[in-house]
Amino acid sequence: MTTAANAVHSAQQSGGRAASAASARQVTKAYGAGETRVTALDAVDVDIERGRFTAIMGPSGSGKSTLMHCLAGLDTVTEGRIWIGDTEITGLKDKQLTQLRRDKIGFIFQAFNLLPTLNALENITLPMDIAGRKADAAWLQQVIDTVGLSERLKHRPTQLSGGQQQRVAVARALAARPEIIFGDEPTGNLDSRSGAEVLTFLRRSVDELGQTIVMVTHDPVAAGYADRVLFLADGALVDDMTAPTADSVLERMRRFDGKRTS
Amino acid sequence: MLLKTSLRSFLAHKGRMILSLIAVVLSVAFVSGTLVFANTATSTFDKLFASTASDLSVSKAVEESDQNGPPRGVKPATVPVDTVSRLAGLPGVRTALGQVFSQSTVLVDPVANKVVGPTQGAPTIVGNWTDSPRSALDLTSGHLPQGPDDLVLDADTAAKAHLGLGSKVRVVATSGNYDFTLSGIATFRTTNPGAALAFLDTATAQKTLLGEVAYTSVDLFGDGSRTDDQLKQEALAALGSGFQGKTAADQKADGAKGVGSFLDFMKYVMLGFAGISLLVGGFLIINTFSMLVAQRTREIGLLRALGGSRKQVNRSVLIEALILGLLGSTLGLAAGLGLAVLLIQLMKLLGMNLDASSLEITWTVPVASYAVGILITVLAAWVPARRASRISPMAALRDHGTPAEASANRIRTVIGLVLTALGVAGLGAAAAAHKAADGGLPLGAGIVLTLIGFVVLGPLLSTGVVRVLGAALPALFGPSGKLAQRNAMRNPRRTGATAAALMIGLAVVTGASVVTNSMVSSVNAQIDDSVGADYVITANSPLTPAMADAARTTPGVRTLIEQKQLQVTFGTPDGKHPKSPLLVVTPNFTEGFRIPAVSGRTEDALGGGISVDQKFATEHGVKVGDRLTVDYGQGRTQSLPVGVVTESGSVLNGLPFTSFGTVAKVLPADEIPGDDQIFGIADPGADKDRTLTALQKSLETYPQVQVQDRAGLKDLIQSQVNQLLYMVYGLLGLAIAVAVLGVVNTLALSVVERTREIGLLRAIGLSRRQLRRMIRLESVVIAVFGALLGCGLGLAWGVTARKVLADQGLDVLTVPTATIVFILVASAVIGLLAALVPAFRAGRMNVLAAIATD
Repeated sequence: MTTAANAVHSAQQSGGRAASAASARQVTKAYGAGETRVTALDAVDVDIERGRFTAIMGPSGSGKSTLMHCLAGLDTVTEGRIWIGDTEITGLKDKQLTQLRRDKIGFIFQAFNLLPTLNALENITLPMDIAGRKADAAWLQQVIDTVGLSERLKHRPTQLSGGQQQRVAVARALAARPEIIFGDEPTGNLDSRSGAEVLTFLRRSVDELGQTIVMVTHDPVAAGYADRVLFLADGALVDDMTAPTADSVLERMRRFDGKRTS
Repeated sequence: MLLKTSLRSFLAHKGRMILSLIAVVLSVAFVSGTLVFANTATSTFDKLFASTASDLSVSKAVEESDQNGPPRGVKPATVPVDTVSRLAGLPGVRTALGQVFSQSTVLVDPVANKVVGPTQGAPTIVGNWTDSPRSALDLTSGHLPQGPDDLVLDADTAAKAHLGLGSKVRVVATSGNYDFTLSGIATFRTTNPGAALAFLDTATAQKTLLGEVAYTSVDLFGDGSRTDDQLKQEALAALGSGFQGKTAADQKADGAKGVGSFLDFMKYVMLGFAGISLLVGGFLIINTFSMLVAQRTREIGLLRALGGSRKQVNRSVLIEALILGLLGSTLGLAAGLGLAVLLIQLMKLLGMNLDASSLEITWTVPVASYAVGILITVLAAWVPARRASRISPMAALRDHGTPAEASANRIRTVIGLVLTALGVAGLGAAAAAHKAADGGLPLGAGIVLTLIGFVVLGPLLSTGVVRVLGAALPALFGPSGKLAQRNAMRNPRRTGATAAALMIGLAVVTGASVVTNSMVSSVNAQIDDSVGADYVITANSPLTPAMADAARTTPGVRTLIEQKQLQVTFGTPDGKHPKSPLLVVTPNFTEGFRIPAVSGRTEDALGGGISVDQKFATEHGVKVGDRLTVDYGQGRTQSLPVGVVTESGSVLNGLPFTSFGTVAKVLPADEIPGDDQIFGIADPGADKDRTLTALQKSLETYPQVQVQDRAGLKDLIQSQVNQLLYMVYGLLGLAIAVAVLGVVNTLALSVVERTREIGLLRAIGLSRRQLRRMIRLESVVIAVFGALLGCGLGLAWGVTARKVLADQGLDVLTVPTATIVFILVASAVIGLLAALVPAFRAGRMNVLAAIATD
């Protein structure tokens, strides 16, 4: 393990998790048992800061998606503890986890984000509908304006382009004012222009709306929009970069690849 | 290669095929079960008739129309005693036996005061015991009838009535009541077709059943030197005119005809329902294959990209259907054998004993089973297979596994509208027809066309109706309701087909219940309107003069109206010879019934004349004062003046009537049948309820007789109609069960198809409970949609059918609101039940796995 990684590690140990939107402590995720045991996450400690845009990067199989799924309460951990805000989610039952996802978390997936039977507006307000809450009209309007969808609210997903669909997904995640939004390769299926659009919206929602966002990506350009990039390899946190640019991330990834292949 | 991929694919999706398989199995089981049952029954009876028929049976010659035996309560035609000796002396005759048999009697257990033997369907036959070389029965306990007190009963009847040796048995004949002691019990050698058989010694039988020393027939058994036909020729030549002979083959054919018409009826009814369930099952299969094809779009696209031809893709789907059909037919064939055994047991309850251990499986059974099973599956898979073959290789590259759902297309809409319009026109024409006979064809065509039209229009209707139906869901059930409504609308073709399956059964149920309810209320209205009599006395066997006397002398009864029915042939002024039943009534007929006349006077018809119905009069150009010839058969004819033309749709049911006295002028007393019905009128001052009780008490010794007041009569009619209705409900239950399987199937496959969507919903916070509710509501919407279509269609059918039958006495229309409400509520419940398993499985789905599913 590099010294840099060690430094990150100790910094997180000492840092208070109360200030974090989400935290993981010694989180281990393993599949199978005995000789066939595969460790996807190995004693990971992470703190996601409030009001910031965090990217999680790493090569395929590094465990970045698993980490996000565990943080978001979609997957269970083998060992360790996870908090969303002040709530420890490890050990919660399905019902409580569902409620937590509904009230505190927003999701943007790579594809298939929208229900084909609902129009754009209905998709945006779906989490609040499910919760039985009324959408805050002013806020909703602001979100819609921000993502630039006012003209297409009555359209069904099949009538929208890929980029527009992802923007609806972003709007849906923002509209419910969750404590934290998780994005799983949200631009993975988009051409670079649409991708840039979506990432700009995410960036603006952090800067202007104070949203907390965690995004898993393998694209250095996407990571360049973040405030901070966490690098994962073989299930462990190996680096932590603040104020990244696409170039610095790419540079770091190259170094990282070089190390792995050497 | 192709076969291998199809087989693999079939096995990979076997879970999704299960419900389709069940549908095929059920339908095929019905077909094969019915055939096996009918074959078994036919062969059983063939064997019975073959083993018991004499070589030649000689009886008095009767006309063709009377071949089925004399009317109820008429003494059978006889041949003189010396016929036996004359026949016995013929060359080639080994034995000649004089037979005495009558079906006009009822057996009663005087101790328990209950009827012995079948009360409906199969006959009760009382006769003399002869030492026939081909007797159907063997004496198994006691002794043969040897004196005026002895009676031998068949073992099945004795067991059913809990009678043993020494028990008292009463024979109620037209001539009076005769009490006997059970001296012996005889057991059928082959099988008992369900009749009750009682034997007396010959002298007693003649005295009791005929009132004269004679035989009803003479059975001849040859020595083998002549064929039956030669025997017949020689016997008839020796006896001279006035006799007829029936060879063993003739007797067998007669017997088979009697049983056959009942069996044929059952067979066609059951095959009809098999047809309905096949149709319903077809929708299920269409849906299954449509969804399988949709889910495999990418896979099929890949196959095409790799060089698979359209034909190959098409064929691979059809081969899968073929495998399903083959498997379903095989299982269905086996299940059908079980069903046949079940039917045989059921028949036993009804009194028809068949041997379940010797099922008759002819080659037609497997051929029909496989033909039906495979044909329906392959036909149902035809459209999905075509759709599969149209998938372009590009589909392999596209991201989404499931293509956008096609909405109802225009051609389909046009065809559906045209068919429905034609059907509605047919129904309209039927409703406008003046006579039932004219309305029948357009009614049938209208029913078939509207049904097909609705099936074709199903997808279009589903979009509209479900939108309206589901409009309340979001308000009532929040997001689950909204999602459910949208899901029910997203694939109109699938929703349409699923609902259509349910629609068919429910439409038939609704239509049948409109007609039967109208039937009941029409009859009730008629009773209120036209029947002035207070009591009705009926029985399943003829009413005897002794019964009438008992009723007449009951305190509180002022007068009785007796009614008989004769089968006659008229000679009309236009030279035609229509056959019709003729009501023969006592002259006080009008005291108990209001008979509206078009022209003439009822009194004239009752005082030496005859009445005709308005329709009969128009058809044959008969008016009051014209003379009709009435041919009673046996060369007994009469010319009667028409006294009155009666209005159609009265209690008479279109039948002509005349009085006892008129008929008695040409018919000797012993050729006049017993009363069909006796109506009583109470004294003006008498307590009607008490008189009813008194009447029932007077007739207590005749357990076969029922006495009812008008309310009781209405109840009786209601219960008879209900019996019919319950049978329809019961058999349609199968079709509805298959339709429910269809709903389950559609939901289960939809859940699989929407795995990712469900994962997404769960990820963004839809709880398990909300998810399950969403699926349940979708199911309810589909089911209620199907029920609405079914009720609508059924109402249209029922109302039109009622209109067509208006001149057959159905002049009051009653819409069974309660039944319709029940159907709608029940369909919602069916929807809930159908969603149980799919909803449970959807709730159990792992969120991550669901998201990850491609």
